[in-house]
Parts: sequence; C-alpha cells; structure tokens
Amino acid sequence: MFAYEQQQQSSCPVKAPVEHRFSPYTDNGGTTLAIAGDDFCVIAGDTRQSEGYSINTRYAPKVYQLSNGAVLATGGMYADGVTLVKMIEQRLEWYRHAHAKEMSCGALAQMLSTILYHKRMFPYYVWNTLGGLDEEGKGAVYSYDPVGNYEKHKWNCSGSAGHLVQPFLDNQIGFSHQREKPTLTMERVVQVTKDAFTSATERDIYTGDYLEMFLVTKEGIQKTLTDLKKD
Amino acid sequence: MSVMEYNGAAVMAMKGKGCVAIAADRRFGVQLMTLSTDFKKIFQINDKTFIGLPGLATDVQTLSELFRFKTNMYKLREERDISPKTFAHMVSSALYEKRFGPYFCEPVIAGLEKDGTPFICNMDTLGCINHAKDFVVSGTASQQMYGSAEGLWEPDLEPEELFETISQAIMCAVDRDASSGWGAIVHVITPDGIITRTLKARMD
Amino acid sequence: MFLTRSEYDRGVNTFSPEGRLFQVEYAIEAIKLGSTAVGIQTSEGVVLAVEKRATSTLLEPSSIEKIMEIDQHLGCAMSGLTADSRTMIDHARVEAQNHWFTYNERIKVESVTQAVCDLALRFGESANSEEALMSRPFGVALLIAGIDENGPQLFHTDPSGTFMRYDAKAIGSGSEGAQGELQEQYHKSLTLKEAEVLSLKVLKQVMEEKLNSTNVQIAIVRSIAADGTGGFHTYTEVECQAVIDQLS
Repeated sequence: MFAYEQQQQSSCPVKAPVEHRFSPYTDNGGTTLAIAGDDFCVIAGDTRQSEGYSINTRYAPKVYQLSNGAVLATGGMYADGVTLVKMIEQRLEWYRHAHAKEMSCGALAQMLSTILYHKRMFPYYVWNTLGGLDEEGKGAVYSYDPVGNYEKHKWNCSGSAGHLVQPFLDNQIGFSHQREKPTLTMERVVQVTKDAFTSATERDIYTGDYLEMFLVTKEGIQKTLTDLKKD
Repeated sequence: MSVMEYNGAAVMAMKGKGCVAIAADRRFGVQLMTLSTDFKKIFQINDKTFIGLPGLATDVQTLSELFRFKTNMYKLREERDISPKTFAHMVSSALYEKRFGPYFCEPVIAGLEKDGTPFICNMDTLGCINHAKDFVVSGTASQQMYGSAEGLWEPDLEPEELFETISQAIMCAVDRDASSGWGAIVHVITPDGIITRTLKARMD
Repeated sequence: MFLTRSEYDRGVNTFSPEGRLFQVEYAIEAIKLGSTAVGIQTSEGVVLAVEKRATSTLLEPSSIEKIMEIDQHLGCAMSGLTADSRTMIDHARVEAQNHWFTYNERIKVESVTQAVCDLALRFGESANSEEALMSRPFGVALLIAGIDENGPQLFHTDPSGTFMRYDAKAIGSGSEGAQGELQEQYHKSLTLKEAEVLSLKVLKQVMEEKLNSTNVQIAIVRSIAADGTGGFHTYTEVECQAVIDQLS
C-alpha cells in the first residue's frame, strides 16, 4: 500500500533527460606486499574484497601462484586482475611450447610489463607485485603501475594500505635509520609481514579478514592463511 | 593542490610510561620547492605542554602567536600553568570560532597532566578533538606515520625507548613523503624535564 | 630423372602421386649450385666459414656478404640464392629483437631457427582473402650458429623448412666433399682455434680457386662476457690471413 502511494507521488513525467554513464573501472581495495630475502621470497595479500563501504566477500584471493614458480599479487580492480592472470598463464604455456623451457622470473617480469603497456590506452586497472627467485636463486621483487612501468627491488607494498606499510618495511626490512643491518631470516620476514598486515588492518578499512602468504624457496612454494580482524 | 598540502609537514605525538613525546619535521616549502630546513612547527606552551602545528605555514605562525597570547592571559588570570587537557580545549574553541573560515591547520598536543599522566590529542581544522591511548599523527605524511607508528609503538615505553620509537617512526615516514622531511625535532616530556633532540635524517 | 616430371611441376604446392613436392626438391637442388659454406661447433663457440666466388676480377670481394649477424649471440652463413636469405634473416632479426623486448633475455638458437623455418613453407597460390604468400620456395640453405644457455650450437635449415642440429656441417656446391672431410677431422674436444683452421682446410680442398684472405669469409660466435665482449664477430682480412698462415 505504502509502495503504491510512493509510486503515485512520483508519477509525474520526467522532463529532463537523465544521463546514465557506464564506468569500466572499480577499485576493490586490498593490500599486497612482497619481500625478497637472500634465497627466498615472501609474497602476501589480504583477502578482503570491497566496493565502496561494502565488503563483497571476506575471502577473494588476489595473490596467484603462476605455473613457472613465480607469485603474482594483484591489487586494484579484481576482475582485471583475474583476466590478467589468465592471460599470463596462456603466455607461460605458449612460451613453454615455443622454447621448451620454463619462463624465468626476470623474463616474466619483462613480459608482464609489455602486456600491460600494450593496453596503454585502456589499461588493466591493476597494481601488480611479482615475487620469486631470479636466475641465481636470489629473492626478487618487481612492482608495476597499471601501464607497465616496473622496477626491481627488495621489498614493496602497494594497494589501499601501501602508503602505511611501505615506510614500516623501509624500517624493518631495509633497516633505514638503523646502525645494525642483520641478515633477514625467513621467520623474521614472515613475522614482519604479519605485523605489517595487522597494523594496516587497524587503520585501513579496505584491508582485513585474512592474510594469504606465499613463501617461495628453491624447494618449492608454501601457502599459509592467517586471520586478520574482520571489523 | 590542497591548501593543507601547500607547505608540507609531519607531526606526531606518542604516549610512554609516565612520559610523552612529540616530533615534527623541519621542512618549509612551497609545493615541491624547499625554502627552509629549520622551520619551527612545535611550540612550547609551558614546562609540561607542547603543541605541534602542521598545515599552512602562515596559519602555523598566526596560531602559535595566538596561543602564546591566550596562554599568557590564562596564566595572568589563573596564576598557574594551563594543563594540557585545558589547553586542548582552548585550542579547540579557538579553531571552532573560525567555523566558516577556518585556519588550515590540524594541531597535535602533547603534555603531562599535573598528576603526571600522559596526555596526547590531535584535532581537525575545526577543532574536533581526538584522544588516543597510543599515538596521534597529523600532516602530509599522516598515512605514512599511521603505518610506521602502528607497527613500531608498544605500551609502557621508558623515555629513551619512546625517543627511539618516535624518531624511527617519523624518520621512515617522512622519507616516503615528498612534502616533509629534512630532519626532525623530537621533544620527550618527562616529570624530570624535557629532552630535546634534533635528528639528521635523509636530507633530500 | 628430370624428364618425366611435367604435370606436377606446375603447382608449387601440388604433391606428385609418389608424394613429392617437386618445387621444394628443386629448391634444395639450387643450393648445390651455391658456394660452399662450413660450420663447426666446439665447446668454446661456433665457427662459420664461406667461400666467396668472384665471377670477375673487377668485382670488389668485400661486397659479397655471405655471413651475417642476426643478434649479438647469433650468426648465419648461407648458400644458394642468397638474395632469398634477406627475407629470412630480416625475419630472424625481428624475432630475436622481439624476444629480447618481451622477455629481456636472448632468444635460444633453436627458437630463432624454428622461427625462420616457419617462413619456409609459406609459398603457393593465395586464395582470395588470404594473406599474400610467397610465389616459390626459398632457394637458400642456412647455417645458423649461436650460443645460449645450452651452450654453442649449430643448426642447418633447408628450403623445405626442416632444420637439424649438427656438430659440423657443410652446404653448397662442395658440400659432399667437405662433409666427408669434416666427418673425418671432427672431434668433440676441438678448440675454437683448431676449428677455424679446420674450416679453412676443408674449404681449401673443395674450392676451385686458390684460397686467400679475400675469397673466404670467417665468423665466430663465442659466449658473451659480462663486459659485453664476445658474441658474433666477422674476421677482418688481417685476422683471416692469420688463420690462412696456419694452414700447412
């Protein structure tokens, strides 16, 4: 009855044309991180997927283990991330058939840059962080902007809490402003990663729920899931 | 570019065990151009109270003078030092007076109450006070400071530990912000006195 | 043997009842008219050597180019209708550069060889809307030498698009004799210096003219050092003479 009345009230004809525009992009939030050690690499991301003030799901993994042993963390628009990873998987298989070998982490890093740049005028809305082991077995981290500008470094954090976590990593992983620069063990890196995400969860509404972590060593890749606050 | 980011600043305050610390960067710039590297953003109100004023530099100086005037008047009338909590409300009221043409500044206040309990707070440009049990941040590097302080702070820090924590937190935060940096100044307020140190960090 | 093949010689892509593609077979024959080219693989690198047939005393010998660079780590010697090799080497160079651009690594010798061979059978009559094809098979054979993560390698390609890897291979008019000589002289522990001398020794035996520093061309492909030295290198006349001097 009430709904009917409402309809009656707004039944006057609409005179002005209403413009409806489709926006091809959305930001699904989330934070990703990668840290390279001497002979290992840790790549992590939270699993919350948001849209505005809503949470779509508490478990939508955005860190992917690629078939060549590298791990790719995608932030930004989830759908573009999924599509991009599918593309990369295809290219990895194609490379395997054409060259009879697995693509190295460095080759994948360059290829990802070209894939992204080829969509320069309608980019994948994704901030990528690639982690793995380089040709010498050392940990390697590469981070990208959506159009394929990339850089190799030892640690990186991007996404909705990237601004919060990056200086923390500079301090705890890069030992900036510290006299002692001890070698990083995997246990230490895992602990710093967990601390970084619990801190980010405190202050960033787009980060939380679970922390998914990939530990890459020459022996293989181990995946772990840790609880984060869900508020 | 927003007026709040015109000059650039980073200010934070932290609670310790029976002590508080307040720190600020030293840069004064106009957008991306640095004009001075020893700019004062923290002002001492009395033996136990400090205020940090990040924001538009002209308002920083105007407000510092305004609060000097107001606290002097308070002392003359009341014949005692203003407590941090009272001072915070004084600042808040002064800001709210300009509700429809605000000062472009988000102050941070740190001090010890008469009974020695640590007090920290920050507020927005209109004077809305935020009390925190751990730390408060303000300025162009606030995101970075939230991250570093959230990661480094722990409860019941002794004065020297608190100094180390706030120093590390502000230094690694301003390194990731183009608008603030060029060293920092730290004041640790203890019942026995003030420890003031100037930090040489990345000077770029 | 050529007399009975009239009907199936017309279409370049038509099989004979015996299952043969005559035009491709003729293309392979064309190579046997070309000047001799030799390639030898060693553990230190690969040597390529070709004879340059001067058809006139007035011809400037340095204008005959039968060994070309594909990339810093890839070289190529040819025999047959050398003009056809331009298409193939252009393709190989593009493929090598594309691989570097996309993957930031040097393309494998086998991959670049495969890429060149993919072109070889793209001839025939193009149907209405299809991409324009080449009118006939290539009349050239290549010796592709290179170095990659699997070490120094030598590949041979022919007009049918078949490629095979060799320790040592000779192509062109003197290939039968030269291949026999290589068969006898080759051993796995050959050094690059020894291989240079061997390549000229083999050429000398099958060449009609007297071998000298202007009528042969030598190139090597070695591993590339961190400072960028090594890789493909064509010998100057002086360097060439130094090798000739070692021939007894």
